[in-house]
Amino acid sequence: MTDWADHLLIAPIVVPMLAGAAMIVAGDRWRRLTVALGLVSTVALLLLAITLLGFAETPIVRVYRLGNWPSLFGIVLVLDRLSAVMLALAAVLGFAAFLFSLGRWHRAGVYFHPLFQFQLMGLNGAFLTGDLFNLFVFFEVLLAASYGMALHGSGVARVRAGLHYIVVNLLASLLFLIGVSVVYGIAGTLNMADLAVRMRDVATEDRGLLEAGLAVLGIAFLVKAAMWPLGFWLPVTYAAASTPAAAILSILSKVGIYAVLRVWLLLFGASAGASAGFGGTWLLVGGLLTIAFGSIAVLATQNLPRLAGASVLISSGTLLAAIGTGRAAVTTGALFYLVSSVLAIGAFFLLIELVERGREVGADVLAVTREAFGTGEEEEEDEEQEVVGVAIPGTVAILGLAFLACALLLAGLPPLSGFLAKFAILAPLLAAGGAVVPTSTWALMAALILSGLATVVAMTRAGINAFWGSPEGRVPRVGLVEIAPVALLLVLCAALTVEAGPVIGYMQAAAQALHEPGDYLQGVLSAPPAGPEGR
Amino acid sequence: MPESLLLTLVGLPFLGAIAAGLLPTGARNAAAALAGAVALICLALVWVAYPTVSAGGVLRAEFAWMPSLGLNLVLRMDGFAWLFAGLVTGIGALVVLYARYYMSSEDPVPRFFAFLLAFMGAMTGLVISGNLVQLAFFWELTSLFSFLLIGYWHHLAAARDGARMALTITATGGLALFAGVLVIGHIVGSYDLDVVLAAGDSIRTHPLYLPALLLVVLGALTKSAQFPFHFWLPHAMAAPTPVSAYLHSATLVKAGVFLLVRLWPVMAGTEAWAWTVGLAGLITLLLGAYIAIFQNDLKGLLAYSTISHLGLITLLLGLKSELALVAAVFHILNHAAFKCSLFMAAGIIDHETGTRDIRRLSGLNRSMPFTARLALVAAAAMAGVPLLNGFLSKEMFFAEALSAGAPVSPLLNILPLAATVASAFSVAYSLRFIHGAFFGPEPVDLPRTPHEPATWMRFPVEILVLACIMVGVLPAATVGPYLNLAVRAVLGADVPAYSLAVWHGFNLPLLMSLIALAGGVALYLILQPQLRSDEEGPPLIRRLEGKRIFDRTMVFLSWRLARRLEGIAGTRRLQPQLRVIVGIALLAGAATAWLRGFGPGNIAPAPVDPVLALLWAVGAAFALGTAWQAKYHRLAAVMLLGGTGLVVCVTFVWFSAPDLALTQLTVEVVTTVLLVLGLRWLPKRFRIVGEGGPEMLTRTRRLRDLAIAIGAGTGLAALSYAVMTRTPPELLARPFLERAYTEGGGTNVVNVILVDFRGFDTLGEIFVVATVALTTYALLRRFRPAPDSVEVPEQQRDQGGAALHGGADRPIADWLLVPFTLTRLLFPVMLIVAVFLLLRGHDLPGGGFSAGMVVAIAILLQYMTGGTEWTEDRLRLRPPLWLGAGLLIAAGTGLAACLFGRPFLTTYFAYAELPVIGKVPTASALIFDIGVFCLVVGATLLMLVALAHQSVRGHRATPRRRALPKTHERMPVAVEREG
Amino acid sequence: MELIVSLGIGALAGSGVWLLLRPRTFQVIVGLSLLSYAVNLFIFSTGGLRSGAAAILTPGEAGSLARYTDPLPQALVLTAIVIGFATTALLLVVMLATRGLTGTDHVDGREHER
Repeated sequence: MTDWADHLLIAPIVVPMLAGAAMIVAGDRWRRLTVALGLVSTVALLLLAITLLGFAETPIVRVYRLGNWPSLFGIVLVLDRLSAVMLALAAVLGFAAFLFSLGRWHRAGVYFHPLFQFQLMGLNGAFLTGDLFNLFVFFEVLLAASYGMALHGSGVARVRAGLHYIVVNLLASLLFLIGVSVVYGIAGTLNMADLAVRMRDVATEDRGLLEAGLAVLGIAFLVKAAMWPLGFWLPVTYAAASTPAAAILSILSKVGIYAVLRVWLLLFGASAGASAGFGGTWLLVGGLLTIAFGSIAVLATQNLPRLAGASVLISSGTLLAAIGTGRAAVTTGALFYLVSSVLAIGAFFLLIELVERGREVGADVLAVTREAFGTGEEEEEDEEQEVVGVAIPGTVAILGLAFLACALLLAGLPPLSGFLAKFAILAPLLAAGGAVVPTSTWALMAALILSGLATVVAMTRAGINAFWGSPEGRVPRVGLVEIAPVALLLVLCAALTVEAGPVIGYMQAAAQALHEPGDYLQGVLSAPPAGPEGR
Repeated sequence: MPESLLLTLVGLPFLGAIAAGLLPTGARNAAAALAGAVALICLALVWVAYPTVSAGGVLRAEFAWMPSLGLNLVLRMDGFAWLFAGLVTGIGALVVLYARYYMSSEDPVPRFFAFLLAFMGAMTGLVISGNLVQLAFFWELTSLFSFLLIGYWHHLAAARDGARMALTITATGGLALFAGVLVIGHIVGSYDLDVVLAAGDSIRTHPLYLPALLLVVLGALTKSAQFPFHFWLPHAMAAPTPVSAYLHSATLVKAGVFLLVRLWPVMAGTEAWAWTVGLAGLITLLLGAYIAIFQNDLKGLLAYSTISHLGLITLLLGLKSELALVAAVFHILNHAAFKCSLFMAAGIIDHETGTRDIRRLSGLNRSMPFTARLALVAAAAMAGVPLLNGFLSKEMFFAEALSAGAPVSPLLNILPLAATVASAFSVAYSLRFIHGAFFGPEPVDLPRTPHEPATWMRFPVEILVLACIMVGVLPAATVGPYLNLAVRAVLGADVPAYSLAVWHGFNLPLLMSLIALAGGVALYLILQPQLRSDEEGPPLIRRLEGKRIFDRTMVFLSWRLARRLEGIAGTRRLQPQLRVIVGIALLAGAATAWLRGFGPGNIAPAPVDPVLALLWAVGAAFALGTAWQAKYHRLAAVMLLGGTGLVVCVTFVWFSAPDLALTQLTVEVVTTVLLVLGLRWLPKRFRIVGEGGPEMLTRTRRLRDLAIAIGAGTGLAALSYAVMTRTPPELLARPFLERAYTEGGGTNVVNVILVDFRGFDTLGEIFVVATVALTTYALLRRFRPAPDSVEVPEQQRDQGGAALHGGADRPIADWLLVPFTLTRLLFPVMLIVAVFLLLRGHDLPGGGFSAGMVVAIAILLQYMTGGTEWTEDRLRLRPPLWLGAGLLIAAGTGLAACLFGRPFLTTYFAYAELPVIGKVPTASALIFDIGVFCLVVGATLLMLVALAHQSVRGHRATPRRRALPKTHERMPVAVEREG
Repeated sequence: MELIVSLGIGALAGSGVWLLLRPRTFQVIVGLSLLSYAVNLFIFSTGGLRSGAAAILTPGEAGSLARYTDPLPQALVLTAIVIGFATTALLLVVMLATRGLTGTDHVDGREHER
């Protein structure tokens, strides 16, 4: 393992780790240094992500054995296409949110940057690790950081929402622990691949227990994925969170989805013997219900942040339902949808604040923002002047276009990737099977179409109110550093549309690997030692 | 060659749109020129394609997009598509010219032309797409850009509403179409138009034919503003007139009928088709014409007449006859010509007089004679006067109405009558348009004094009217070949024999026309009083207004219904959420275990030890006591909680887990201190007399919670018992025990696991601690005590601590003199203990974490007994520094391994003899553990000190007088007011 | 023995859940701490309970499950304890912040008319 390239697997975790730690040592008064560190780290993460995307294309799964212990009882990091994609998403969103925060948010409270770095570290760790308990640890890292981010800037609304967020997630973590320990107690391993192998020949008198444990584990995941009725905390928290935090949060809910994809498909895939397909129906049903609830929430709200939160619900539901069908072709579409929706929602969260800035007092986000700065101490005033960039000409036009793009993406209308994503889910869904189409397919199809319709209605209403309602509303003051990230994310969505073919190809391979995890198991269980075993 | 041509045809308008969008706001001529140029180029391109197409060929270009899903960018131009492309680009060019003069110079026209071009591109893409999904794609694009065009004057409420309604309805239709396309794709196995068109029979006979039909037709009817979706079109008239002329005569609304024609060969001919399409067409034809008569707004009149004429086309398509299709296509052309010119004429009138209200207009014939002539001809064409194009297609329609063999007879019987009546109506409203606007007395008090428009503004109208006449006089020579071309493309071989002649001799259709003309004139005369009256809208169905219904529905759906449902299906309160989560987790676990079943364990339970039993009796009692006391006696609860913790701790010792016991103990201490520090800021709570017992609702809620709690307890107990009584054959622990010393270099296996085997977990864990510490610190800097907990609690006041806020520490020091001295003496001892724990951790119980905790506790004691100021005067602490350093050390240790080409966190060790402490493993793991140690010290202190400071800050921050009565009920109000 | 411990776990979990569902932040915190005790014990117990087994290897020896307790669950519990400690602290502070900003200690940050 002396090859430098192999160490790249750990880099996505170590880079933000060191950056964050250094920031703490540097302390909050050397803000320039801190910002520089943050920039270096986020850019590095981007480059890493791109490289790893390339790595993952090779059929063999890359394994990194921490502490150089055999993967059976040491902790391993595993890189396959899925994790590579998630890493890339996290890196992109991280970069965008970081830039955005430089506009003003990173001054809304102390220690923003270290928390941000740890957030990224937690995400990357969760996406890379191949060990169930280690997954728990990284969940905790990213959750702890997300608590900090969600509370960043304090203020009544945030603290209220934050309390719920924290309590719910603590409960979920406890469930997680119960699940993991049952797994260890019954199957005697924590390594996912090893577990998948052992699943096949667990004694029948133990199987029930093991599955019960895994069911509890699954609930923990689904709470994070905000499946109805476990996800009521999500819209509130996201609506209240500081903008960059919200943008990051838009991928946070997908961590739950990732966990489901990874663990569920690994343990209950077709090759899982007696337990194959366990709970799939529930995923499907739950997903459909989540879509329904999300659509209702979208229709019911006229407040942009909550609208965004509700659309997070819709996208979570869509993904869960798609995964629940348990067909590789559909999973392919789901992965494409995942990328598209995460980027879109991230952009939307960033955009919302800029839009609301231009509107009268009473627009909720503005109020929250004001709260953040109103209750703030001395430290804000001195820099307030040079924080906000001058209003660039045509700001409103740009914002309008961006809003339009977000609306199209969220509603799944042409020409952006949202439409293709829905198509990519629905087409294989219908293509499979003969003349008779199962009810579940109709249900999912209806859910996708109707949720799109609901989003259209809501977004049109919101957009007209925001842009056409009061033409003489003052032009919001938007720094270039704030609009650039939004543009970046949307451009990526456009690229996704143009390059749909190759992307789908990549996702297809990823989905295949998830549904037939042979390579994964092979790669993990027979990972070669680096030089002499141990030391 | 076809690739580039077709691609340019679609792409150029979009490029033009972007270019126009980038033009400065004032660049009126530039934008117009650009748009015009683009339109003309596209027209030229279409013309270039003519030879191939006229030879019966098909231009086809395919570009890979999502091949694996059968979605490629397929551009396909056959005769029919060619005809439409010509319509779109040709009329587009005319509209651009017209708009150049229509739009005022203040308007930000570049945006207008940008949208217009984009729309043109979308429309072209729609007509020449050779893949159904791609067709749906462009379909939605047309909806989108029409939305932007209709809402162009978005400062007008009417424009906003109209645009929104148009988008909502057409987009809905588009989604339906998308679904329908997917179903068709499922039936045929491909989305490619050629394949689909070849699979007619299999589609019509497929069990899913009906859903597919309904979805597709829904899309078409919404787009073509057919009943019952017709009402969006009139409200779209809020758009600038050029937009109306373009979208609502030639392009957007024609997309629906285009689709119907496109799929006619494969979907038409069934009873379902006739009923849906035919019936909708029939109703729309009559309804539209009827309402049109009573419109006082010129554009409104034209809008409804458009609806009616589209109904005519739809009806023709609904009939089971190729000739009807020919008539439909022919009428599409004719209608485009005369309706577009009429819209433009209306626009001219509006532009020159400042009003479109027929009741105010009159006698414009004198002031603008030329426009009047043009409008007259166009209107005559619309009314179906002989020697004009409208007449011809209408005659065909009549012929079909008489002879068509639609599979549904009831529809047939009324057709001739309906046709005649509708046509009479159209005569009436055409008459009203002309007579109302141009004839009669001199107009009075018009906003502007009318005069002829600029020559170039009239030019497009002239062209179109000329077309109407030419086609009307010499149909076969002018439009014949193109029509034939289009029809051939749709029907292929079986194109029926039809004759485009003006004179078919005296026959029934002619008679019907004459009746209609006469009837129309009569109707107009009869209705005069009605029309002059001020009341809006048509009689009989005035109440039945589509917009109102639409708005009501939207409001109902999105506000009442959605909110009600959200209230039912969701919650924003914490307790229900937790209830649900616990409940579901319990259910999931229990149900699974129950359904899948599990046998007895493979370990015989060990005999019960009375001591342990007693211990746990106490433990359980503590736990329940905590639950009991937590509401009113917090301090008691905290103590009981600590007791429970101790019991757990003892249990760990009992089952020979010293490390756990140690950690649990230290954590226990710190947690308790934290809680106690926190208590001080909580509101006083005691049973208020009069509150009495909980009411019914609360009681039931409590019962439910109790049930859940008991369920959870039992569930976990059962699960743990089941898991405890079985061990898997292959435990991960074995290798750990075997290698701990030989390879991990430590005899304390747990510690070796923590710092070596699974050091990565520990690394993550300390980052959690660090993150939390930072968060709490950040949060506490913003801390504002609630008004009612500002002043010093009476406990402190009793201690004469009134001097305390001054910061003087003596009193309290005196107060606790003995413990104060003790702790000061204890301090160094504890530090030594900590070092010992840290260094021996690898071999004996201990390790970085517990060591750190001990140090933290030691310092904590100083704070508690010495008071904040006293301690900080003597002890310079920089918690963040410790914290950061700790992280860096730990991470650095891990990283060091990489320098030696080993994976992250690979450890190295050797033993070193130290005096007193003895043999110490100087494993790199130790450095790692030191990192942990520093971090724990830093983090714990950061949190506790920040919290402890609140007591000091609290008094300074808020003056006493702000303290409010201690009834917590009133608090929220007070806070909202200030925050 | 197992029975006692599992009953103990049950008692802890039960009272924890009960408190978790109460309306006052403080109750919730205490409830969560109780729950995490229960869960820690649970994790610990999954390794099987052995009283009187050695915890520390004698140097040079390769241990086996016959003579030693299962160290892995202990390690897991240690991690769990630490994380639990941290999150409890955080929750406490958030509780204080809510109380400070909203004036109430109700979990929803506002008193409900019940």
